[in-house]
Amino acid sequence: MPDEPYNPSPIGNPSVLARRNWLQTKLVIFIGKHTPKCREMVRILSQSMDEPMPLMMRIKKRIHFLICCWCQRYEEQLRYIHETARQFPEHADEASSAIFHSDTKERIKRKLVEQAG
Amino acid sequence: MNFRARGCNVYEGISDVSIWKHKPADELRIMTKSTIQSAAERWVDDHGECLYRFALIRVRKPEVAEDLVQETFLAAVRGYEKFSGRSSERTWLCGILKHKIVDYFRKLRREPSFTDLEFFSDECLGKFVSIGFWNHEKGPKEWKPEPDEVMHRAEFWQTMRDCLSKLPQKVRDVFTMREMDDVPSKEICAILSISDSNLRVMLHRVRMALRECLEMNWFETIGKS
Repeated sequence: MPDEPYNPSPIGNPSVLARRNWLQTKLVIFIGKHTPKCREMVRILSQSMDEPMPLMMRIKKRIHFLICCWCQRYEEQLRYIHETARQFPEHADEASSAIFHSDTKERIKRKLVEQAG
Repeated sequence: MNFRARGCNVYEGISDVSIWKHKPADELRIMTKSTIQSAAERWVDDHGECLYRFALIRVRKPEVAEDLVQETFLAAVRGYEKFSGRSSERTWLCGILKHKIVDYFRKLRREPSFTDLEFFSDECLGKFVSIGFWNHEKGPKEWKPEPDEVMHRAEFWQTMRDCLSKLPQKVRDVFTMREMDDVPSKEICAILSISDSNLRVMLHRVRMALRECLEMNWFETIGKS
């Protein structure tokens, strides 16, 4: 990796800022220096799923996303996982083929009858 | 208001049509014990399989899963008056089951195994370049389709189950408690006797591993089709 703090510029980098010209290059380097590195950012993003992110960090995150579409995707995907994981219990019958035996069902029904009675 | 859930209607068989004009709480007062009983029996047929499979994925022991499902239905009968009808029956029953599962883990109170964290020690291997930015070749790819769409596809849930089953047991418990059961972090720390920082590391690593697994096994293969 070069000495500069952040030198992505791969052809077709879809980030908003991607060293496409002199100004963008300066901005990318500046933002790369003054916001958390991606390795740290993904930890922070995970933490933000469990507790609110401080305002200053939210601002840094937004600025970081300008130069890094990958961290932005990572955050979106954490939310994706969160959203689908919450729905998982209600779809457990589609996820698994384990058999819920009919005698167990009957036993539970008998218990329920006793309880209601 | 949606009283129906997956073709199941608790109010089937109620002969007095006038009760449909009332709110659910009012209806319950009118409902007889036998009606609740028949509704409860129908729950077992309609939702038993789903609850059992979810419980089994979580606790991995069939006999424990069966007991948890039974406790769930018993609790549902006892607390039927609290069911407002705002959510579907299945959502309501799953909510009760989640509490039962958390109670089960609370009783177990195990020590976390350090090897679980070691399992993920190379979770970042190759993902980041030495100075800490993403290796763009291996960074997250775009995910399509949208969550609303995948939720109707059984293969997605199977992939998620497979990905969860690849995780070490205790790490998986941490993740499912936090993301599926919505248990607050502090409570998970207390239940599993782990420190706050340990929990954060575990959640971070498990999310990264699960994201990777879903990307490889769903979004790059089945999800595209």
